[in-house]
Amino acid sequence: MNWGLFFDLTVSGLTLGSLYALIALGYSMVYGILKLLNFAHGDVYMVGAFLGWYALHALGGPLNPTFTGAVVLLLMFIVAMLGCGVLGVAIERFAYRPLRNAPRIAPLISALGVSIFLQNSALLIFGAAFRDYNTFALIGVKTYSIGQLFFSVPQLLTVVTAIGLMIALTVFVARSRLGKAMRSTSFDREAASMMGIDVDRVISVTFFIGSALAGAAGVMFALVFGQIYHFMGFIAGLKGFTAAVLGGIGSIPGAMVGGLIVGLAESYATGYLPQGSTFQNLYVFALLILVILIRPSGLFGRAAISKV
Amino acid sequence: MRSRRATAIAGVLAFSAALAVVAAAYATPNRAAAPSAQAGSGAALVKCGKTRTIGFMAPVTGPAASIGIQQVHWAQYYVSTYNKTHKTKLKLQTEDTQLGAPTGTAEALKGAQALAGSPNVLGVVGPAGSNEIVGVTKSLKDGGLAWVSGSSTRTSLTTDGTRTGYMFRTVPPDAIQGPTVANFILKKLKYTRVYIIDDQETYSTGLADTVQQVLKTAGSTVGRDGVSQQQSDFSSLIAKIPRDTQIVYIPWQLPPKGQAFGNQMKSAGKGSIKLMGSDGLFDSSFASVGSNVYDSNFPLNPKSKIITGFKKLHGGDGEYFGAPTYAATQVVANAIDRSCKSGSTTRAKVRAAIRSTKIPASQSLIGVAIRYNRNGDLSTLHKFGLYKSNGKVFVPIAG
Repeated sequence: MNWGLFFDLTVSGLTLGSLYALIALGYSMVYGILKLLNFAHGDVYMVGAFLGWYALHALGGPLNPTFTGAVVLLLMFIVAMLGCGVLGVAIERFAYRPLRNAPRIAPLISALGVSIFLQNSALLIFGAAFRDYNTFALIGVKTYSIGQLFFSVPQLLTVVTAIGLMIALTVFVARSRLGKAMRSTSFDREAASMMGIDVDRVISVTFFIGSALAGAAGVMFALVFGQIYHFMGFIAGLKGFTAAVLGGIGSIPGAMVGGLIVGLAESYATGYLPQGSTFQNLYVFALLILVILIRPSGLFGRAAISKV
Repeated sequence: MRSRRATAIAGVLAFSAALAVVAAAYATPNRAAAPSAQAGSGAALVKCGKTRTIGFMAPVTGPAASIGIQQVHWAQYYVSTYNKTHKTKLKLQTEDTQLGAPTGTAEALKGAQALAGSPNVLGVVGPAGSNEIVGVTKSLKDGGLAWVSGSSTRTSLTTDGTRTGYMFRTVPPDAIQGPTVANFILKKLKYTRVYIIDDQETYSTGLADTVQQVLKTAGSTVGRDGVSQQQSDFSSLIAKIPRDTQIVYIPWQLPPKGQAFGNQMKSAGKGSIKLMGSDGLFDSSFASVGSNVYDSNFPLNPKSKIITGFKKLHGGDGEYFGAPTYAATQVVANAIDRSCKSGSTTRAKVRAAIRSTKIPASQSLIGVAIRYNRNGDLSTLHKFGLYKSNGKVFVPIAG
């Protein structure tokens, strides 16, 4: 057994999986409350990556930052998360809220339209050329090793930050008033409204949080893998959606676990399966189909009961 | 009944809005609507006039923009030099191909159709990518247009018989680049543990196959893999590369991807493994990965006054990837001049004139005279240049 390869693939898988988990959380949260698949979510992640890039360059750029690397990173995350949060609220307000009582196909089409709109707006505003975060200049190239396990600073940062954000979200949803309101609304929107919960506000907050997490994921992706471009949200969004479905759409723990599973599956497929790097997406989506065939509600989801 | 009608109307409106967004996003107001192509022979007579139009296809934007813009600069340099010294003038009708974009070769196809349908366009410089040429061949041939590429190197483009008389190039094919690279790895660097990764495009797989074959025949240990051009995360792929690999050969088309790959190799603790790119990665972004990076590129005459003049106008940067595009523009312009002697010409005559090009070495920046064999390859050029990064740019080295 080549343990070096196994550890490398595991680190890579956990890094990717953390990103997918953050994206999947946004899908799950929105679906849980609105029963809407927000296909624009992957493009919100892309916008987050660009906001982080612009914040980096507004702060002097990677070669000559105004502050230390850590402070610049923190500010990049704040800008990306706040910007994407506001974007998410705006998308909900103008693209989904007017269609809340329409048949489900209408907001779905609206979501697709928003996705295309965001991709092409990014193309128009940011151009088609790739942008590079130049992470090495910003936070260094250092790679750590423990035996045959190697990991870099950006990878460690990604996994730790993602876990921290997921824990914060879980505590927020479980312990805070707003979190309780979110859970009530996802359980029964009408009843929650009758209980005096401002459902519109709860939905807006949900979109804000989900989009902010996607923005953070965009910055982390760019820090680890370097490059951003206007179309990067498409596949990432699909894989985030896959992770959400795999974990059980509507379930927050399911989204986290689903993301990690998808990341690890992709990584191990690349490393061990025939033509793995060529067909890694094929293997990931085949896994999705397999899980849905065996357990249609996902790993943590529950079969929905409909009253007739 | 009323609510059903309202629902249907809402659905139609939403769908129409989505369609309108798509149409607006893809509208290219500056490009002529794709008209039907002219008859395939290109026999329609065109009055030459004082200003002659050359079609120009390059990745002006998109993932390959960093090398495409070099081609743009060199083509414009030729045109501006020509216009200063000739009574007749040249102008370029530029079509952006967005090589490497997620839409594949769709933009290149639109550009080819636009050029084929523009009656004043007499010949074409470009496109840049071998895969783009496969995509646009029919459109350009149907329009009777010849094209001269300053960068596409896939061998079969000129040997499979489908483009004879239409396609020409000012760079040697991969049948030369591949053995040059393999022999450099074997005999100069003396490496026997090599890993090759192609980007699954026409240009890359051909080159990778050639190098792999030569190395394996010589007894080297060669790993092989492929990755999509759209991929940005190479970490799992990099994990597969054995740590005792001496060099990784990546004949890719997109310099940003090469840069990302090199940086991710460093992140994975494999920064000491040498990297070698091909002409598609010949760019300062790939060179910036570090001094362990090599590349092969089209041969140029470094003492050429043309190169010196270009560098003066571009801050000392030779933008060497684009230099053969100067030669390609020169070939097309030269052919138009010769075929326009009577005041009018046809695309078929321009094609024939390109085929009979004879530009002496003293006027050529590729170091040799420009003459073509029957396939459309240079009959005079038989080598590729080799380069090493100094941490910022590539500098030539002996092979």
